Amino acid sequence: MPKWFQPATLVCGAMFAISPWVIANAPYESTMGLVQKVFYYHMPSAWMFLTASVVCGIASARFLATGHPRHDRTALAAAEMAVLFGLLTLVTGPLWARKAWGTWWVWDARITSSLVGWMIAWAYLILRQYGGPGSEKLAAGLALFGMANVPFIYVSVNYWRTIHPATTVVPKLPFSMGFPLLFCLSAFLLLMVLLMKLRVRVAEEQARLDSIYLSLDEQA
Amino acid sequence: MMTLLRVIAVVFVLVIQAVPLSAQGQPKQQEVFTPIDQLPPQDQLPAAPLLVGAYTFVLLMLFGYLFVVSRRLTAIQTEVDRLDTDMKRTSRN
Repeated sequence: MPKWFQPATLVCGAMFAISPWVIANAPYESTMGLVQKVFYYHMPSAWMFLTASVVCGIASARFLATGHPRHDRTALAAAEMAVLFGLLTLVTGPLWARKAWGTWWVWDARITSSLVGWMIAWAYLILRQYGGPGSEKLAAGLALFGMANVPFIYVSVNYWRTIHPATTVVPKLPFSMGFPLLFCLSAFLLLMVLLMKLRVRVAEEQARLDSIYLSLDEQA
Repeated sequence: MMTLLRVIAVVFVLVIQAVPLSAQGQPKQQEVFTPIDQLPPQDQLPAAPLLVGAYTFVLLMLFGYLFVVSRRLTAIQTEVDRLDTDMKRTSRN
């Protein structure tokens, strides 16, 4: 692993350890009260989900254009990140909504398109796992649809009727709420970079192992 | 026709008798509605379990994933090292 990996892991661990204290010191929101504090993990999860979908799409496009396995490994790692952070988003959201809206789930444009984006990431991984030879190119094509869905997820709350907060909420946050959000966002971003690096390394080692077995077969 | 009328009469009498019997199990009839400012405590959905549940789920999933990927990497690296050693030993012989 690169030299920065271990110090970055320590920083990330410290940030996650401190984050409950930072969140506890943030003020309560006037209408939602205590449950609004789910926001400080829900929103970074959602942003990481969208970022991972975009990274997966860009890496897949580069893989389709160049055929370099490095891009394919990046896309695969990003798809796993999209599934992981998408799951966190889709679970923490209903826990917040149950109290704030009085319901676990509503089929509005934001939530439905997020679910679709998450299922596209799952489809990518399932295709890679069970698709057989050549499935990496099919999956790369699928990842482009996943990336195309991201702007739709983001702007959906501004154009369709929904009880989801608008995109104007975050820029207008007071410092007392904006700082905890920024802190958690940094922690989640660092964690995603570290997890991606680790996952890419797994894929590289797996490729090395496969090549060793291949050379052993040729020798035999 | 007479038989049908008799059957209807019997059913009517049975239903009339059954109504007071079923009413015995019901709570006392409410005569006035009293407004209150807040829901009674037993009806209020507490936020804390939802909040704690959300944070616990996130942390468990993240560290679970980290653990699984780390184990996978260690297993692959061990296998690569073993194969490398075997190949070197074979080439020496």
